[in-house]
Amino acid sequence: MIKIENLHKVFDNKYEVLKGLNLSINEGELLCLLGASGCGKSTLLNILAGLMQPTSGDIKFEGCSVLNTPPKDRDIALVFQNYALYPHMTVLENVMFPLRVGKNRLSKEQAKKRAYEYIEVTKLEKFINKRPHKLSGGQQQSVAIAAALVQEPKILLLDEPLNNLDATLRLKIREEIRILVKSMNITTIFVTHDQEEALSLSDKIALVQDGHVVQLDSPQEIYLEPANLFVAKFMGNPSMNLFIMRKQGNRLISNDFKIDLKLLTPSKFKDELFEEDFFVGIRPEYFLIAPNAPVFTTNIIQKELVGKDCILHFKLNKKVAKIIVSTNSRVVEGNKISVGIDYNNIHIFTIDGRRVY
Amino acid sequence: MRKSLKAWFLLSPALIIIILFNLLPLARTVFLSFQSSSLNNSHFIGLENYITVLTDSRFHQAIYNTAIYALAVVPIGLIISLIIAAILYDFKKFQVVFEVIFFMPYIISTVAKGSIFRLLLNEDYGIINNILGWFNIMPINFLDDPEIALLTIIIFGIWSSLGFNIVILLSGLRNLNSQYYKMASVCGANKFQQFWLITLPQLLPIITFLLTVNCINSFRIYTEVYTIFNGKAGIGYSAITAVYYIYDKFYVVNRYGEGMAAAVILFMLILIFTIIQNLILRKLTRR
Ligand SMILES: Nc1ncnc2c1ncn2[C@@H]1O[C@H](COP(=O)(O)OP(=O)(O)OP(=O)(O)O)[C@@H](O)[C@H]1O
Ligand SMILES: [Mg+2]
Repeated sequence: MIKIENLHKVFDNKYEVLKGLNLSINEGELLCLLGASGCGKSTLLNILAGLMQPTSGDIKFEGCSVLNTPPKDRDIALVFQNYALYPHMTVLENVMFPLRVGKNRLSKEQAKKRAYEYIEVTKLEKFINKRPHKLSGGQQQSVAIAAALVQEPKILLLDEPLNNLDATLRLKIREEIRILVKSMNITTIFVTHDQEEALSLSDKIALVQDGHVVQLDSPQEIYLEPANLFVAKFMGNPSMNLFIMRKQGNRLISNDFKIDLKLLTPSKFKDELFEEDFFVGIRPEYFLIAPNAPVFTTNIIQKELVGKDCILHFKLNKKVAKIIVSTNSRVVEGNKISVGIDYNNIHIFTIDGRRVY
Repeated sequence: MRKSLKAWFLLSPALIIIILFNLLPLARTVFLSFQSSSLNNSHFIGLENYITVLTDSRFHQAIYNTAIYALAVVPIGLIISLIIAAILYDFKKFQVVFEVIFFMPYIISTVAKGSIFRLLLNEDYGIINNILGWFNIMPINFLDDPEIALLTIIIFGIWSSLGFNIVILLSGLRNLNSQYYKMASVCGANKFQQFWLITLPQLLPIITFLLTVNCINSFRIYTEVYTIFNGKAGIGYSAITAVYYIYDKFYVVNRYGEGMAAAVILFMLILIFTIIQNLILRKLTRR
């Protein structure tokens, strides 16, 4: 169990990246750290590994503060974002290196044996005696991952470990990583930009914004029940359609369509709608093609095929909105469609981002 | 064909300069080494100059001294430089200040350095002997004892070589990715392992370069001897070096042919040594 409490980090140049970040990770859990570029994900990992000291706050492993524990005693392995392999060592030597230093030093034979295991896992057998500069970016990344896994650490920190891999290999290695860390019960923090990766890989996702964790939840919860407007906007691809609507009696109204509040589930309201204007968020998959009881009708201006589904663009309230439909519905650009709304799955936020429904 | 003509044309200024100032003197040196030693009435005398030089016990002394000097100054100088550079590198705060201090000797003329050294090493009022006195060590006659003359030159040589070595090594260290060390410290590698397994192997190309440069410089040592011993090569030529021998033959005893022969021999020795050294180091860095 890792507990991060009220963590602050102010850099020498007075820039405050982490502003009282709280996060807890259970043993053996795979947590994805998700957030925009520059929000402090790498900084957090560096602090966890002990390579950087926080300005204030505490980090506890199993209830004990580790702030004064040097990196080598934290039983952590780390794959850096700009992982650097040792250029003068072969792939095998790079993977063996962590086993040949430190207090649990293995003999050359043992280290080699274990290194071979993980080289196999990462499919690097062919390159065993090559120097890193002879490998592609993705292969190098695999070496870095192997060199981390080989330590069989209690905690594994991966800072965007897959960003140089092609789509297929990416998928494959992330599955491998998941299977491995799960079977070895390694607590893993996985930083990624790719929300799809986060959604498919993790037990939990922590979404970081402005130096805080804004939501820590299972992938499903974070997708279906965003804590606030930021999370709602961040998660989902294509992203959630947002409309500014005005409250008028029991309805939310806008130029092109209205929502009757009585159609919404009363128990899902988190607060009363005091304000005048609200953001209404509707994910593209919760617009429905509804020829019988349309909320509005519109023209398709663009069609994007993604596979079994396609994304249709249309204008609503003078903004482009998107709807996902099955590809075999064979809608084409210019067609008129009648659209309904799945009221169970819409969200309402105040203008400053608080979720009220 | 026209392309290569153009290339030769563009290269010609550089080529002319190289031929004029590098190849011609070398050819003339070789030519003169086969001539009798008087300049106005010289004639071909075959290998006579070479035989004279090679059987001259003073030449043996000169080559011996030069070899000992190189063998001592190059490795010791490099190791000390490496240690100082590694310490300086960790010492972020006044790094630049110290770098300048260590580099200073490199830009000061050897003559000035030699004079300073003469003062420091003086038997009666030099600082070094003064300090040694605090530890009850008898004053050492650095300058006028034929037994110690070579040691004096070696100490001076090591000290002189530090500046350049440290600056080059520091720039090499700065080029190393800091992530190497972060990763190593997470794995639990201690400072010594980090240096031995990560820093040193990656500095090998730079060390190779410094080895070559330092060796060649050592073979050419002359000014140091001249300035420290006030124009002599120590008492009774005890600190004579190869280049000093050549100079002596040329300007002091006016045996031009013999001087040239000695120069050619030295040139061959340096050439062979450099080639062997490069071969060994290439093996080492390739593995
Ligand atoms: N040593 C430093 N001094 C000052 N500012 C820094 C330092 N290191 C990082 N920062 C700043 O802190 C912020 C967070 O950096 P960090 O590398 O943690 O971001 P990140 O979330 O990992 O981004 P990315 O997803 O692009 O990797 C950035 O705005 C960066 O400019
Ligand atoms: Mg980062």
